[in-house]
Amino acid sequence: MAEKLSNVSSPNDVLKWINPQLFEAIPLGIAVIDSDYNLVYANKAFERLFGPWKNRKCYNVYKSKDAMCSYCESAMTFKDGVSRINEEVGYDKNKIHISYLQHTAPIVDENGNFPYIVHIFTNITEAAQIRDEHQILYDQVPCNILLIDKNFRIVKANKRLRDSLGNPEGKHCFEALKGVKHKCTECTARQTFTDGQIHTGYHVWKTQTGKTLHLHVVTVPLKRADGSFDLVMEMAVDVTQTLKLQDDLKFAHSYLQTIISTSMDGIFAVNEKGKVTIFNPAARNFFKIKDDQIVSREELAAMLPKGFLAKVSQQPGHVYLPETEVRANDGETVPVRLIGNKLMADDGSIGMAFSVQDLSEIKRLEREKLEAERLAAVGHTVAGLAHGIKNLITALEGGMYMLNSGLDKESIDRVQKGMEMLARNIQRISIFVKAFLSFSKGREIQAKMSNPADIAEEVVGVYSVKAEELGILLKNEKIGDIPPAPIDYESMHECLTNLVGNAIDACQMSNGTACQVTVSAFEENGTIVYEVTDNGCGMDYQVKKKVFTTFFTTKGLGGSGLGLLMTQKIVHEHGGSIDLKSESGKGTTFRIRLPRRRLPKLIEKEA
Amino acid sequence: MIHKTKKILIVDDERDVLTYFEAVFQDNGYDTVSAEDGIEGFERAKSEKPDLIVLDVTMPKQSGLKTYRQLKRHAALKNIPVIIVAAVIDSFKVLLDELEEPELPKGIFNKPIDPQALLKVVSEILSD
Repeated sequence: MAEKLSNVSSPNDVLKWINPQLFEAIPLGIAVIDSDYNLVYANKAFERLFGPWKNRKCYNVYKSKDAMCSYCESAMTFKDGVSRINEEVGYDKNKIHISYLQHTAPIVDENGNFPYIVHIFTNITEAAQIRDEHQILYDQVPCNILLIDKNFRIVKANKRLRDSLGNPEGKHCFEALKGVKHKCTECTARQTFTDGQIHTGYHVWKTQTGKTLHLHVVTVPLKRADGSFDLVMEMAVDVTQTLKLQDDLKFAHSYLQTIISTSMDGIFAVNEKGKVTIFNPAARNFFKIKDDQIVSREELAAMLPKGFLAKVSQQPGHVYLPETEVRANDGETVPVRLIGNKLMADDGSIGMAFSVQDLSEIKRLEREKLEAERLAAVGHTVAGLAHGIKNLITALEGGMYMLNSGLDKESIDRVQKGMEMLARNIQRISIFVKAFLSFSKGREIQAKMSNPADIAEEVVGVYSVKAEELGILLKNEKIGDIPPAPIDYESMHECLTNLVGNAIDACQMSNGTACQVTVSAFEENGTIVYEVTDNGCGMDYQVKKKVFTTFFTTKGLGGSGLGLLMTQKIVHEHGGSIDLKSESGKGTTFRIRLPRRRLPKLIEKEA
Repeated sequence: MIHKTKKILIVDDERDVLTYFEAVFQDNGYDTVSAEDGIEGFERAKSEKPDLIVLDVTMPKQSGLKTYRQLKRHAALKNIPVIIVAAVIDSFKVLLDELEEPELPKGIFNKPIDPQALLKVVSEILSD
């Protein structure tokens, strides 16, 4: 090979000696190919890079190909004798992908032909990889990056920025990014150009579609080794979403704040450390706590029903007290509805929230309604009384008329009739007045803790002998447990006595044989219920309509028509209601319902 | 000139009131028939064809109000004049108003009654 080289170059002793030495010592891979692309010579550095080469074609060694490359620099140099340099990719001796710079230079013979070509290789695999990584980073980092020169022209912009704003290269940054014609008064890039330091700022950009972007910007001088620089790199992170979330959060916060502060219900909250964090104006008003006064957990616990705070803190979910009392700061108790919630986040409790509703007004309305109902009962009574009295007077006048006209006509028969009418109606008046007196006594009901089932049992006991004599099966049923309640024992006894008496009468008036009266007492959903059921004669619609409203009786002279009216009055005074279901010929059920929360207050125990 | 004796139907649930009214009307030259509740009253009106009906309001089985409406809707009975004699007449008037009853009773008397006043109205209605 050395001989061949010496053939084509001017013989020189020093060169003859130095060429092979230098050729082997040089750290770049060097190879020579002939015009058939056969490798005819290569140095050690080449062998270290590409491996064995003898009797092989260049494309086979460099690129692991079996045929010539479609684009071949060497082919062109063989033609025109021009040296070329280009970047190539191929495979090293271990078949690992490499990048290299390839210098292609012709060897010119005496005739000016190019029988051989020299290839010189620089392995740039690592540099290329770093460069590629850098490019990817530059384009794909979630951040807009641009290079700006001293005239505020954009020299380069990364892909992210070009995608969102179009290619701004060559334009002024203020125009391309903000759509303005002049430099910005506050400019981080200018600051960096002035002092060579890194600066940060907050910028607002406008996209070509009119969208506004909010950005956090960092400008860095792109310094050379000597510290001088002509370019500034600007990195801008889009914080539009973050700002929007911040805004949303701010809005949600003030929205909640407004609801809490204007709520008619008292709202307060305790954080997980037991500190009272929310105590809204309604709650302050309610508990009589000054605006600037801080409430401690202990103070709060003292205002709420005993053990309520602890109960809420013990279990997730809510604790609901539909009717309870709280103690205001001045010691006054207030009827309220109270709800406590243990607040949970992903990883545990974050405190407790409470809502409290003032029931004073509702309580007052309830009392007024009860009072109105009582007055209505009195009204019915008076109307019924008027009716009864007017009928009695008419009958008495009739008696007088018969007596007088009988005397005039000297008709003994008529006198007799008149006397009978007078006597009968005077008798009626006496029944009426007796019943009316007991009704009108209208003593205040005196509620004492009574066992509701005992009343029913006692009334059944009173009637048992009479029922047995009449062949009526009288039963007492107590269903479930009924705790004691504030009831006027005597009055409720009278109610049930009336109903059972009526039921027995209804049985006597019926044609059926197996007569039965059942008195049952039970409690459902906080309401004490008495039911008196018979399978007696029942009532038709007309009778049902009237039983409670007037001094109505189906028993002729035997009844005052006051029994059910009396019963209704007592039931109403207990805050309860009475209704009936009846079918003519089949029987009747009267039901007294006494909701516990409407029962009268216990009278003070006498000493 | 011989007048046919006029017949009055009295409907009231109080036996003593019936006795009283029967005597008053009979003493003044009228025939009477009686009924003790609304249902019986309507039946007797159909069978007896009275010239006038005296009707109580509060009665078992069927009230005077319902009976009045029944009478006024019955082709053969609707022209018979009706006088209401009742203990409680205020609610009766209100109900007639609310029901927009086309024809009102010829007279409404509150118990206890003045027999002379009742007789005067009856004779006015029945004088041809």
